[in-house]
Amino acid sequence: MSQTITIDPVTRLEGHGKITIQLNDKGEVEDAHFHVTQVRGFERFSEGRPFYEMPSLMARICGICPVSHLIASAKACEAIMSVRIPHTAAQLRRMLNLAQMVQSHALSFFYLASPDLLLGMEADVKVRNILGVAAAKPELGRAGVGLRRFGQSIIELLGDKRVHPGWVVPGGVTEPLSSEKRDKILAMIPEAYANTGVALGAYKQIADTFKQEIEVFANFPSNYLSLINEDESIEFTDGALRLVDEGGKIIEDGMTAARFPEVIGEAVEPYSYTKFAYYKPLGYPDGSYRVGPLARLNIVKTMGTAKAEKELAEFKGLAAGLVTSSFHYHHARLVEILYGIEKIEEILSDPRILDKHVRATAGVNRLEGTGQAEAPRGVLHHHYKVDEDGKMTWANLVIATGQNNKAMNLGVLQAAKHYVKDGKFTEGMLNRVEAVVRTFDPCLSCSSHAAGQMPLLLELVASDGDVVDRVVRD
Amino acid sequence: MDTIARCLVLACGNTLRSDDGVGPKLAEWAAERFQKNEDVRVVARQQWTPDLAKDIADADSVLFVDSSLNSIPGRVSLAAVASNRGNGDAATHHLEAHELLGLTRSIYGSIADHAMLLTVGVGSTELGETFSEPVEAALPRARGVLEKAVLRFIQN
Repeated sequence: MSQTITIDPVTRLEGHGKITIQLNDKGEVEDAHFHVTQVRGFERFSEGRPFYEMPSLMARICGICPVSHLIASAKACEAIMSVRIPHTAAQLRRMLNLAQMVQSHALSFFYLASPDLLLGMEADVKVRNILGVAAAKPELGRAGVGLRRFGQSIIELLGDKRVHPGWVVPGGVTEPLSSEKRDKILAMIPEAYANTGVALGAYKQIADTFKQEIEVFANFPSNYLSLINEDESIEFTDGALRLVDEGGKIIEDGMTAARFPEVIGEAVEPYSYTKFAYYKPLGYPDGSYRVGPLARLNIVKTMGTAKAEKELAEFKGLAAGLVTSSFHYHHARLVEILYGIEKIEEILSDPRILDKHVRATAGVNRLEGTGQAEAPRGVLHHHYKVDEDGKMTWANLVIATGQNNKAMNLGVLQAAKHYVKDGKFTEGMLNRVEAVVRTFDPCLSCSSHAAGQMPLLLELVASDGDVVDRVVRD
Repeated sequence: MDTIARCLVLACGNTLRSDDGVGPKLAEWAAERFQKNEDVRVVARQQWTPDLAKDIADADSVLFVDSSLNSIPGRVSLAAVASNRGNGDAATHHLEAHELLGLTRSIYGSIADHAMLLTVGVGSTELGETFSEPVEAALPRARGVLEKAVLRFIQN
């Protein structure tokens, strides 16, 4: 008799999701899905609001990456205003976005992933959490707390609040950086480097013990999408998008936010409230792609900073071509943390960062605008339409987790097929299936932002298991 | 920003969920009451997260302030907190007071000399920015208990 294994909720994620694994009569895994089960409503309830409210409204989507939403939203608004923001404002936003990336990656690595990585996938579930890690590896606990506080403190210094900061507005930022704040941030940097060194050292020591997981944790060829600068260095805030295929060949380059909706579509599957982004010319699902740290490090040719450059070379040495195992998202996050600290230091070393001109002003000059940035989890795209008075008439957000959705589902299936045999499984096996999802560090509150018509599958199942009625809304 | 104070008042709660916001409300009062006292630092968060371990490690004493679902609405309680690692279901985004103390001891090797938990029993956690009658009525007593505890901590 066929059987379904349900892991609900999937733990140590941002948000609420579940995994189902379908077994056939022989106890073999036939299919598996990662379901995002929560519904939110940001696109719909933004309608009717003045467009300039959008950054602060959109930042409420997420408590982990509000800065990315602030920035993508402000850029969409600036497209409506047809303004170019001052250089210093762009650099301040870049620093804020990097600070967020550091704290978010620290949370993902130390709080969410490290219980599996440092204590083991089979460790007693009662100790497989941040408290267990702290007890077993206090130096890593300190490093994790230190890096998260580093990022959050910068966000608080710049935006007044650690979570849901303001400051970023259409046209730039509300106030310039003071020399006192600059010096406070610079003073935190040596400790941040030291903490990153502890994390990288610890990770490299244990990575080789996860050979099997590396082999089956969403390890397959795919397309990749990320922002990149003209000099082919990594970029989180500006630049343009590059899409490469599974061999690293460039499919799309210089993709602006305005072009994004022309080439990126969103498919709907009945089992998830999160959509599935794909590259339209290749169709769905062939046009699916991965975003985030793995994609960024696969796509860029250089980090553009000395310390991270060495780490990038080591990272790229993990495979002959592109690095395809999602397990390596963890490693990529640590490399990006190092880059973030270096880049923040570099930005603050430029005297122009204290310039007082940090905001451009304008009204409605276009009725449509798009903006994009790299969230810690990957590309984030905002697309708005307004009326002549600047009131929002329509919004669409394409979130990193939606862009990784197909790969996450394929990864869950790949791991389930490997670890669940003859209908038998242990807690440690199922934890590995969950851990595949954790490698992507999905943010489910971000990804289920849509309101109104939601994909829905309703099944009426008879006592013998037969589906007697089925309603699909997409 | 990180600052060091002898006594840390660490409140928790959601001000958009009625009585759950009593912790931040008391923290707001404490921040004003001890505004000129450098020995006292007040921090209010929606959730207690692991990174607060550093704030606790930097203080000689800590007064946790929270609402309680397991208490009679409006009941004000003050109890000592012992550090431990909980029952194994520690959430990443939210820790209890004893778990935060346990985490602090694990990674910094020491914890505050004194740790107490002040709670106010909740009547409602529905969406809203006002308190239920029992919690509203309990505020003066809760402030008094908070004040006494902080003064005792900083005089030790």
